[in-house]
Order: sequence, then structure tokens, then C-alpha cells
Amino acid sequence: MSRFFATGSDSESEESSSADEITPKATGTTFNKPALLLSDDEEDTKRVVRSAKDKRFEELTNIIKTIRNAMKIRDMSKCLEEFEQLYRAFLKSKTIVDKEGVPQFYIRLLADLEDYLNQLWEDKEGKKKMNKNNAKALSTLRQKIRKYNKDFETEIASYKEVLNSSTNVISLCRCQDEESESDDDEDSEDWGSDSVDSGGESEDNEGAAASLAVVFLKKYKDGRRKRHKKIEQVEEEVDEDGEAEEGGWEKVKGGVPLVKEKPKMFAKGTEINSAVVIKKLTEILQARGKKGTDRAAQIELLHALSGISNENNLGQGILVKIKFNIIASLYDYNTNLAAFMKPEMWKKCLECIDELLDILFENNNIFIGENIAEDSENLAISDQPFRVRGCILTLVERMDEEFTKIMQNTDPHSQEYVDNLKDEGRVCGIIDRLLQYLESKGSTEEVCRIYLRRIMHTYYKFDYKAHRRSLGLQGETKSEQDQEESEGEDSAIIMDRLCKFIYAKDRTDRIRTCAILCHIYHHALHSRWYQARDLMLMSHLQDNIQHADPPVQILYNRTMVQLGICAFRQGMIKDAHNALLDIQSSGRAKELLGQGLLMRNMQERNAEQEKIEKRRQVPFHMHINLELLECVYLVSAMLLEIPYMAAHEFDARRRMISKQFHHQLRVGERQPLLGPPESMREHVVAASKAMKMGDWRTCHSFIINEKMNSKVWDLFPETQCVREMLVRKIQEESLRTYLFTYSSVYDSISMETLSEMFELELPTVHSIISKMIINEELMASLDQPTQTVVMHRTEPTSLQNMALQLAEKLGGLVENNERVFDLKQGVYGGYFNRGTRTRP
Amino acid sequence: MCFGPFPLHQTMASRKESAASGSSPLETPVKQIQIDGLVVLKIIKHYQEEGQGSEVVQGVLLGLVVEDSLEITNCFPFPQHTEDDVDFDEVQYQMEMMRSLRHVNIDHLHVGWYQSTHYGSFVSRALLDSQFSYQHAIEESVVLIYDPIKTAQGSLCLKAYRLTPKLMEICKEKDFSPEGLKKACIGFEIMFEEVPIVIKNSHLINVLLLDLQEKSTVADKHELLNLSSSNHLEKSLQLLMDRVDDMNQDIGKYNTYCRNLSKQQQQKQQYLQRRQQENTQRQSRGEPPLPEEDISKMFKPPQAPPRMDTLLIAGQVNNYCQNIKEFTSQNLGKLFMAEALQGHSS
Repeated sequence: MSRFFATGSDSESEESSSADEITPKATGTTFNKPALLLSDDEEDTKRVVRSAKDKRFEELTNIIKTIRNAMKIRDMSKCLEEFEQLYRAFLKSKTIVDKEGVPQFYIRLLADLEDYLNQLWEDKEGKKKMNKNNAKALSTLRQKIRKYNKDFETEIASYKEVLNSSTNVISLCRCQDEESESDDDEDSEDWGSDSVDSGGESEDNEGAAASLAVVFLKKYKDGRRKRHKKIEQVEEEVDEDGEAEEGGWEKVKGGVPLVKEKPKMFAKGTEINSAVVIKKLTEILQARGKKGTDRAAQIELLHALSGISNENNLGQGILVKIKFNIIASLYDYNTNLAAFMKPEMWKKCLECIDELLDILFENNNIFIGENIAEDSENLAISDQPFRVRGCILTLVERMDEEFTKIMQNTDPHSQEYVDNLKDEGRVCGIIDRLLQYLESKGSTEEVCRIYLRRIMHTYYKFDYKAHRRSLGLQGETKSEQDQEESEGEDSAIIMDRLCKFIYAKDRTDRIRTCAILCHIYHHALHSRWYQARDLMLMSHLQDNIQHADPPVQILYNRTMVQLGICAFRQGMIKDAHNALLDIQSSGRAKELLGQGLLMRNMQERNAEQEKIEKRRQVPFHMHINLELLECVYLVSAMLLEIPYMAAHEFDARRRMISKQFHHQLRVGERQPLLGPPESMREHVVAASKAMKMGDWRTCHSFIINEKMNSKVWDLFPETQCVREMLVRKIQEESLRTYLFTYSSVYDSISMETLSEMFELELPTVHSIISKMIINEELMASLDQPTQTVVMHRTEPTSLQNMALQLAEKLGGLVENNERVFDLKQGVYGGYFNRGTRTRP
Repeated sequence: MCFGPFPLHQTMASRKESAASGSSPLETPVKQIQIDGLVVLKIIKHYQEEGQGSEVVQGVLLGLVVEDSLEITNCFPFPQHTEDDVDFDEVQYQMEMMRSLRHVNIDHLHVGWYQSTHYGSFVSRALLDSQFSYQHAIEESVVLIYDPIKTAQGSLCLKAYRLTPKLMEICKEKDFSPEGLKKACIGFEIMFEEVPIVIKNSHLINVLLLDLQEKSTVADKHELLNLSSSNHLEKSLQLLMDRVDDMNQDIGKYNTYCRNLSKQQQQKQQYLQRRQQENTQRQSRGEPPLPEEDISKMFKPPQAPPRMDTLLIAGQVNNYCQNIKEFTSQNLGKLFMAEALQGHSS
């Protein structure tokens, strides 16, 4: 479509004449205007940048100028010469023309020239007056232009069409033309903001266009006075040319019809059928990923298109196709992979996916798949099943990932985070729906993938209703809503079903690994320690997890930690300690769990790495409380280490069970002034010191008190059980420590006294002491009738211990010495013979 | 532990001159040391006042040589100084001290130095270096080792040591390599020689002491008869163990050195053999033999670990063992005594 005429004075006048009655045609032209202005705007900015194009076009306009001058003085030979030059210049600038489209002024010249030549041709009289040279040139030029213009037939035709439709134009008032040009420039600036908004609208911008026209007209009239002044402000060249040669035509900057203009045009009268819509869709999509494409506008366009197709009942196939593309362009909106979508955009996307799923559920005859080729798609023919290219699973997965990204990038302590988190339910809903859909339609792999998504959204949540049900509280104090909630399946059952499907069907190792880990995590979270442990042991993940990618490793770490905490809750201190040891001993628990980056200098990681690491972070709502983790670890370490330390006080080769615990102890010792404990660590250290003395009451009061409750223990679901377990453990281990430490000062001790001291039942005391005797930790025997422990005193004293150590060391020394001597005996013997030589 | 640069070069120079111009340049080494009671008391007092725990106190001995015995007639302590007062000039201090003593007509000739010890640990490199420079400059000089712990247990422990001439030679040459030590045939037993000590007081003091002895009441506590032993033994054992550890390390080092050396020797031998074979082949073919190459350059022997420290450690270990042996035998005696006493009383 000719752009020149759309903006030129002709259309202007046309509007003024037909502004009242909005004929379809008028709508068409006005409708086109904003976009054109927009593109003009664009071009203006481009002109600055693209000097090559500028140069070429200037060359062309200069030649055109001379041609027009020659036309005026009827110098045909000059005309011919210049035309040939123009032809060459045009060829030279072909690359630019290919990119930008044929410039308007060029078309205009071609059309004018042909008209002019025809006119001259018919004017027999004039022809006769011409000299021979001119006449010859005229005939050659006429033939040439006729031939040449065939290439530009369509453009010229459209040019002429507008030309004819507007009667005023034919007068070819150059002055006015020039005005309109400059006007064009001016106005495009004035309308800049409007045009951006309305640029993408297609269906509902009729009204807007009309008002726009009004604005334009108004301006036009108002500005008419000023225009003469304005002309002077326009580029010098124009000014000069205009005055000197009265030829403003040349300066018109040809608009290049952009791809997206075309689809809008089809609204003009053309019958909207699926073929047209598909064509438009492809056109829109072609602009995708290109540099200058306005992505927001594109999304708008696609939305509009879906609206059109909906209105025109073009069938679900097309709708689905468009929806796919809308979602894709929503994802495209952010070019940077690291950046996160705006929550609003994401919500739009969510809606779209929801609608898409609606359609898919309603229409059973739609097949979607990545492997359906573009050309084998069936979008329109409704009696056959629709075939649409696209993968809804990928879209949903991407949506989920974007959700994670949004959560990662929101301040976790803000209201915004809570608001965003509320959408998690919708995400789950969509995943659930897709899951149902894929269960009936998708391949096994797809089902596995969506199952994993579902698992990922389930595994870290504590199932309160199942918990409550297991406690047998159901039904009594329930509101209706609660009742409703508890209708659903237990998450444990869901997890079990989904995971087992994946174990059986999955063929990619990664999904299975993730599923196992999530399953273990879920078991551990719900205190099903044995299942969790067995699964962990059966999976053999511990052996090869270091080969997995970092996100899986993070998941593994999370699982191990959860496993450890679970073991702790169950009172399996040793298991808890072992599970947590790896994570805690590194001192980088935060990083290993993907819950934050450690401060490190930039040498160790550059900005790029940091970005990658940031992307791996687990969103806040899935975090494991680090203080809880550390506390659990330290307390289990305390329960293991303190009796061990007491038992092996004089052992030179004593090994530390937990380095970190020892570190904490040392830190505590280094303090010059010991106040009452404040932090969790200080509490544990203070408790350890009390335990070392066998003072379980103090130890208990340090471990379980208000502060620690609020900090740590209340975070467990079954707080009371854990606390009871802890007290029991503290009593037992204190008893053991006491016996280790003070057995040397007793000849015998009554078990009854011990049971009173540690508030343990007699049988327990009996069993603990028996165990110690059996393990040869305590040199004693039980005297049954009197219920006393009789010490044997076979433990070596410290001096004896030292002597033993010394003997051991000396043994090593002798061994080393002999090794030296072995070497000496050969070639270099003699050093040790010195003694014999010196002492005769 | 710090060992000040005790032997003053200025004084030493003058001493040497005087020694050279004097009767004889010490043909017979010092056979006996006669210490004035005053010196003993001063040393004990010095430790009591300044030494705590394992801190070591040091001081300068003054006296003169009479025939084959060295008479130590006076001493003065060397102040403890920390790292932070840098401007403390030790030489200056000694000079000042000695000058002042001369003014009040006290023997001012430098004849050695004294040092306290902690559970008999004094055989160290620092002591060796120090004593070497002393003996190098002032031939008759000795080091007095005072053991405050044993003294506290009831028996005065003061010992005088000198480096043996052999060790002096080695130190002079500064050749502490295994070969050097082997050649010198030196072992830890013959590094130091102990010189017998006689404590001598003037008659007046002896009279006074006898007088006091009669007047004084018998002390109630007899440290000498203390039966508890484990504390002392534990400490000694601990120190002994540390030294044994060090020794072990040194031996390990030496072991690797020996292995490396022998490996290299083998390589060298192989190389030489190959070379010889090639040469004979060449000769048979009538070609000129291969040019001589510097084998020592090709096979650089590995750096030998210095053996002096090992020797010193061995000496120290020996020392500890002696101490422990002494202590335990005494203790055993005491225990038997106690048993007998108990048996008698019951």
C-alpha cells in the first residue's frame, strides 16, 4: 500500500471531505495512519544511524530532482540520460531496497514519468516541435520506462489508485505537497505517543482512529498557517530545493511497509477466513526475534488476532495455535534468560495456559505435539481432528520455571512474596489439569515429566491434614472447609503413585533420580524414617551423586538434611549425625542447600558464575531452617561426643566425632567472660559443659527452654515428642558420661542411686550399665542382689597411659631406626658401627 | 628462650691477650669447678624471683682459673627482656655490670654463664651455639645448669657442662652432615662433659652456718621424703614423648634421604656401566670414545639433612632418661622405706 498517499495531502483532503460519513474505505485509510506514522517515526530515527541508506537515497533523490527539472523544460535527452543513471543508482542501492522496500519517491517518479511521457507522446503538436534528438530520446525513454515499470506494477497501480480516488491531488500543487511532507514529519512527532498505543490495535481501534483523524484535521487546519514558517525549519536541503526549483516531491521519505502493517490491512473488507488468519499469524511470527520488533506490540497483535478468530468462529485449531504463540511470545518478552518475568506478565501467561487447557479439554479432537511438522498441521478443517504443532508440556514447564524465578527474585520478607506465593496454588492446579490431560493423551515420557513437576510441587509440603488424621483428631472440631480439604488424597499416596510410575516408566535417569530424592524427602518430612532410609540405601544415590548436575545435587543435599532431621526426631541420634555430617562439616550448608550465596571474593567466582549460582537458588518457601539444622546437628554431636570424650580422655589416638562441635566448644572456651547463653550455639555449648560433669538437669535446662523452643524445637510438627525424646537422651548420655568420668573414684555404686540421680527407671539404668560392660567401656560388674555396680579398677592411670603411649612411640622409633639400618647394611653401612669402633 | 650474646668480644679480646701473655694457654682443661656459696644462692634467688614455670633465667658467671680448677666467685643475672623493648642493649648492660663490679673489687673475669632448666630440658641448639661461642672465645668457660624443680624436692641440683673438644671441632667446621659427624665419630654421649662441682664457702660462713644450724628448729616438712611421684613422672614422660616424636621425624627424614641417595647411586652406577659398554663398543669399532661428562653435575646428590639436631635430641632424651631413672630409683627407695616404716608401726 502506498504510504505516501496515505499521509500526503491528498488523503488529508479526502478525510476532510469524508470525515462525517465513515465509509469502510475511509476507515481503512485512517486506520492505517497511526501505524504509518509510527513507521515514519522509526525511519526518522533510523536515518541517523544508517548512513548507507541515507547516502543511497540522497543519490536517488538528487537524480530524480534533475529528471523532474528536465521534464519541466521538456529536455528528453537529458531525461533519458538521467533515467539511465537513476536506474544504475537504484541497482546499486538494491540491498537497501531489499531491506527497506522500494522507496515511495522512486515509485512516484516512475509513475509520473510514465504519465508524462504518455502525455507527450499523445501531444502530436509538441512532438513535432521537438528537435530530432529529443524526439528520439522520448521514444527510447518511453519504451524503457514501460518495460521497467512492469517490475513495479503493483506499487504503481496502488499509487495511481489513490491518485485517482482523490480528485484534488491531480492538480499536483507542489507547494502543498511540500507542506504536507514537512507536516508529516511534524505530526508524526506530535502523535508519537498515540501511535505507539494504537499501532498494534486492529479490531477495536476504529474509534481511536476516528478521533485520531479529528486530531489530525484539527492540527492540519491550525497548523496550516504555521506551515510556511515550518518549511524553513525543515532541513536546509528541502528549503533550498523547494524555493529554487519548486520541486518538493523528491524529498518525501518513502515509508517501508513493515510486516506487521499488512495483517492489519486484511481487516479492510477482506473476508476473514482461516487461511487469512494463518497467513497473518505467520507474518506476525516472522517478525519474532528480529531486532526492531516491539515485543509488547506483538503480544497485543496476537491477542487481537485470537479475538478476531474467536469472533469469526474460525475453529479451535487456530485458536489453539494462536494461544501457543501468545504464550511463546510472552516468554519471549524477556530476552535475557537470567531476568525474570514480571508477575503481571506471568499471570497473563497463566491465564492463557488455563484457557488453552480449557480448549484442549473441551475438544477431544485436537492433537498437539512437537513433532507435528508445520506443513502437516491441520488448523482449519473441522471435520478432521485438528493437528497443531506445539508442546503444552514445555509451556507449562517454562511457566513453572518462571514462577520459580519470580519467587527467587522477590524479597521473601515482603507482602509481595506472599501474594506471589498464593499463585502457587494456580500453578499446581494447571499442573494437575495438564497431568490429567497427558494421562489420557500424552506419551510415557511426557507423563513422567509432568509427574515430576507435580512431585516437585508436593514433596516439600507438610501434609497437615494427613498428620491430623493420623493423630485421630479428624471429624470432631472440623469446620466444613477443613472437611472439604481432607477429602483429597493424602500427599503420601499421591507421591507414592507418581513416583512409582516414574520408577517403572522413566528412561531418563535424571527424572528418576529427582523423583527418588523427592520421595525420600517426603517420607522424611513425614517422619517415615525407615521407608526414607531404605529408599535412600536402595537407590545407591550416595555413590554417584557427585556426577549429577548441581540442581540435583542441591536436591540431594536437601534430602539428606531432611533425612537427618527425621532421624533426629525419631531419636536415632547417630543416624541423624551421620546424615548431617557432610553438610555441616563443610561450613557451607547455606550454599550446599541452595539457600543463599556465601560471601566470597570475586577471584573465586566471577559475575557470570554468580548469576548461574543465583539461578540455582531454592525459593524461600522451600527453605530448610538452617538454625534448626545446625541445632539438630550440634545436639546430636553433643549426645555422641561428650560420652565419647569422657570414655577416651587419656587415649592419645582419640578421634573427633564432630569437628564442628569441637570448634564450637573451643570458641566457647576462648571467651574470657562467660555470660548466660544467648544464641543457639551458646546454649548447646553450655549444655555440653554441663553434660561433661554429668549434670543432666542443667544440660536439660540449657537445651530445652523458652529461647530454644521458640528458636528451634517449635519448628517440628510433633514438638512434644521430640522434646521428650531429647530429655530421655540427655539423661541416658549424662549417665554414661558420669560413669566414664567418675568411675575411678567409686569402688561401687548403687544403681538405685544412679536411677535417682538421673531420674531414670532402674531397668533402664541396668540396661545402660550392662551395655557399657559388654562393650568393655566400663570395667565393672553388676552385683545383682545388692543392685550395685562394682568397679574393677583395671583402667590404667594417667601415668600408665603415658607410659603405654611412650612405649608405642618408642616402638615406632625403633622400627624407623631399623629401616635406616637396613639401608646402611648394604653400601653405606658404618654409621651405626661407630660405637663399636670408638669403644674398643 | 633467649640466649644473649654472652661472650663479649671486647672483653674476650682483652682476655685472650691476658691469657696469652699470662702463665699458660690452658694446657690442662678445667678439671673441677669450685663455686662460691654466694653464687649458688644468687642463682637460686634469681630463679625464684623471675623464673616461673618453664621460663628460663640466665646470667653471667664471674671468676678465675686457678691451676686446673675454675673458681666461680660471683655472678650477675641477665634481665628478662621481651621482644618489644628493642633498645635494650645487652652488651652494654654486661659491660656496665662488669665495670661496676670491678669498681667494688669483685672478680670481673667472664668465665661462663648459667641457666635454669625445666625438668632437665636444656640440651638444645641454642645452648650448643651459645656455649660454643663461649668456649671458642674463653676456653675455660662452663655453663651451669640449675634445676629448680629438683632443688625444690630437697636436693640441690646444679651441674656444670662443657663441650667436648671433638664437638668443638665440629662446631668450628660447621659440618653437620652425616658424613662429617661420622668422620668425627661423635655420639650424643660424648657431646658434653660434666665437670665436677665443689661448693666452697669461706670459713667464716661455715662457722656462721654451724651456728645457725644449732639455733634453727627442725623443719617440719621434708620435701625429700615426699612419696607422690606421678606428677613429676608424668611431666617428664610428656617431655620425653615429645622429644621421641621429634626424633622419629628426624629419622624419617634421614631415611628418605638415604633411600634417595642409594637410588641415585644405583642410577649413577647404571649410567656409568652403560657408558663403559658403549665406549668398549666404540673402541672395537675404532671410533673415539664418548667425551667425559661431569657426572656429579648430572647426579646431584640430594641435600643431606643436618644431623646435629638429631644428636641434640638424642642427648636430650638421654638426659630425660637419666633424670627419670634417678627419680624413680630414689622414689623406690622411699617407698620401701615407707613400707618398712608402716610394717614397723603396725
